[in-house]
Amino acid sequence: MSRVTFAEALVGAIADEMRRDPDVFLIGQDIGPFGGAMQGARGLFDEFGPRRVRDAPISESAMVGAAIGAALQGKRPIVEISFGEFLPCAMNQIVLQAANLRYMTDGDARVPVTIRTRVGDGPYRGHPQSYEAWFAHVPGLKVVMPSTPADARGLMTAAIRDDDPVLVFEQMFLYHAIRDEVPDGEHVVPIGPARLARAGLDVTVVATAWMVHRALEAARQLATEGIDVEVIDLRSLAPWDDDMVLRSVHKTGRLVVAHEAWKVGGIGAEIAAAVAERAFSHLRAPIARVGAPSIPIPSAAPLRTRVIPSAEQIGDAVRVTARDAGPAV
Amino acid sequence: MTEAAVGARESVVDEPRRTLEVYRWMLWSRLFEEECGRRNPRWFPVEGEEATIVGSFFDLRPDDVAAPHYRGPFVVYAMRGAEPWRLAAQALGRSDGYSRGRSVPFSGPLSVNIVPWVAGDLGTTLGVATGAGLAFAYEGSDRVCVVSFGDGTANRGDFHENLNLAACWNLPVVYVCQHNGWAISESAESYLPAPIAARAAGYGMPGESVDGNDVDAVRETVGRAVQRARRGDGPSLIEARTYRLGGHWSADRSPYRAAGAAEPWRAREPLAAFAARLKEAGLADSDALSELTQQLQAEVTEAFARAERSPEPGPDELGWEAPP
Ligand SMILES: Cc1ncc(C[n+]2csc(CCOP(=O)(O)OP(=O)(O)O)c2C)c(N)n1
Repeated sequence: MSRVTFAEALVGAIADEMRRDPDVFLIGQDIGPFGGAMQGARGLFDEFGPRRVRDAPISESAMVGAAIGAALQGKRPIVEISFGEFLPCAMNQIVLQAANLRYMTDGDARVPVTIRTRVGDGPYRGHPQSYEAWFAHVPGLKVVMPSTPADARGLMTAAIRDDDPVLVFEQMFLYHAIRDEVPDGEHVVPIGPARLARAGLDVTVVATAWMVHRALEAARQLATEGIDVEVIDLRSLAPWDDDMVLRSVHKTGRLVVAHEAWKVGGIGAEIAAAVAERAFSHLRAPIARVGAPSIPIPSAAPLRTRVIPSAEQIGDAVRVTARDAGPAV
Repeated sequence: MTEAAVGARESVVDEPRRTLEVYRWMLWSRLFEEECGRRNPRWFPVEGEEATIVGSFFDLRPDDVAAPHYRGPFVVYAMRGAEPWRLAAQALGRSDGYSRGRSVPFSGPLSVNIVPWVAGDLGTTLGVATGAGLAFAYEGSDRVCVVSFGDGTANRGDFHENLNLAACWNLPVVYVCQHNGWAISESAESYLPAPIAARAAGYGMPGESVDGNDVDAVRETVGRAVQRARRGDGPSLIEARTYRLGGHWSADRSPYRAAGAAEPWRAREPLAAFAARLKEAGLADSDALSELTQQLQAEVTEAFARAERSPEPGPDELGWEAPP
């Protein structure tokens, strides 16, 4: 075990995969001597040089398109889109090319491209919008969003080894804030299964990335009030672990979903809908959703702080859900 | 700004009053932006690029539209009538800033006919600026739009699509590349295999390269393109060669840049050269220039002091749907 930051875990995974597989290389802006936005590619250029760590022009669509094309020729490129706000520049390539190629060629074409990007609020306080739900909506794409250094490493490794396009959403608040244990050597976290972050009996909270930490914070407070919260770290948004979520809801009968992205059309809406479809009779209270209100994430800190869900908001949603006494099943 | 002073000018060796005004704005930009950088380690330094910025927009009519690059746009907003203290509040994200803390800090008021910055996605303002040109062509008016953008931004697909569209529809838009040699840590040699001005031929529009540290040359070159657009003869592309003397942001010491690389450009930075020329031409002496510096610094300091008295935007200013 080593204690590393979220950012170091991501870089470590990329470095290991590049050592292991000569077909893996990185395309991005400022990933060369500069070390990547927020030092998210630190040291890779020194070790692997300009052939495998390629500083690109500000041409996001071409970067992703070229990665897809190289993937069809047997390479396994990683594209770094400095911030999630620039994903829309490459949208055609992601949602029409990368996502469709395998299905529409009846499996002849595989697109082992990893697209990594940074979203959410963070120390850098720029480019805070979170767009991950858009991609979970599109068949043919896999979407992961880790909340811990260990999962950052394990999911990045899985993404690079995956034969389908995977988007890795790296939440910026977590980047340098957490130092945590990460297994040494090979560490792969399969894409799909969620992580039980805290076991509990009364209410299930399904959260992503930063909100996992806030949900745990809320859970600690709620424990003192006699509410035992189960926290599920979704960590993979497409596919997502319906099995773990449904089993948990069968047990608790109460569900709160929480993410930093907008509540409307967020990944939480999909989870809430699936639970309503498939576990309706187990629910003892209405499902509660916690997410950003429908406002573009503003720039000034006091406004942004107000928009991004707090531990208190998650806690309040849990309290309401726990209070609501539906029929016990 | 009077209309007579605009457009018809053949040379920028114009009346001393206007020459001094240009100098004044360049100096204002230097001092105002430095103040921003002192308060925010994430500010984007402008030092060295003032001649390109002021020279590209100074001669526009108030009813034209200005769409300045994100690096250094405040002087453009100010020249067009934005209030310095509210720009300072904008930079600080305060309630009296023009976007009241909502947009990225480098935006300004629409009332002075600008294209605002909302998010930080580079290249998209090229489209909005082209649309201003579309509206003017549609109206049959003689208004024009000048849009500036970085040499890095020139590699976005939006650049190609907009220049081609503007050429197809003969739109009154002047595209000015504020070529400072860098895009964060990447140097222009790594992403520009050919000069940007040379691309113009491919779109069927005039393209010209100009010394971006020579404010007269910038005014003259952009002025010619503006006249052309005003006459209804369509868009132009101008590459103004300048240099980013500072880091990408204030606290960035540019470790990726070879030591001393900026020095030749520092020796050619536009304000000192301009001051020397003013003295040579007898338009101002050292005393007058240092007095001007002091006066502008006092104005800038006062603008920031007033901005700092502006409150942080409160939760009730979020607008739209209030959070639950
Ligand atoms: C679409 C997009 N991609 C990447 C970025 C990240 N970014 C911010 S500033 C910058 C460099 C821009 O270079 P240039 O256009 O030359 O302007 P300069 O910073 O030199 O003034 C980059 C890559 C962005 N803001 N938007």
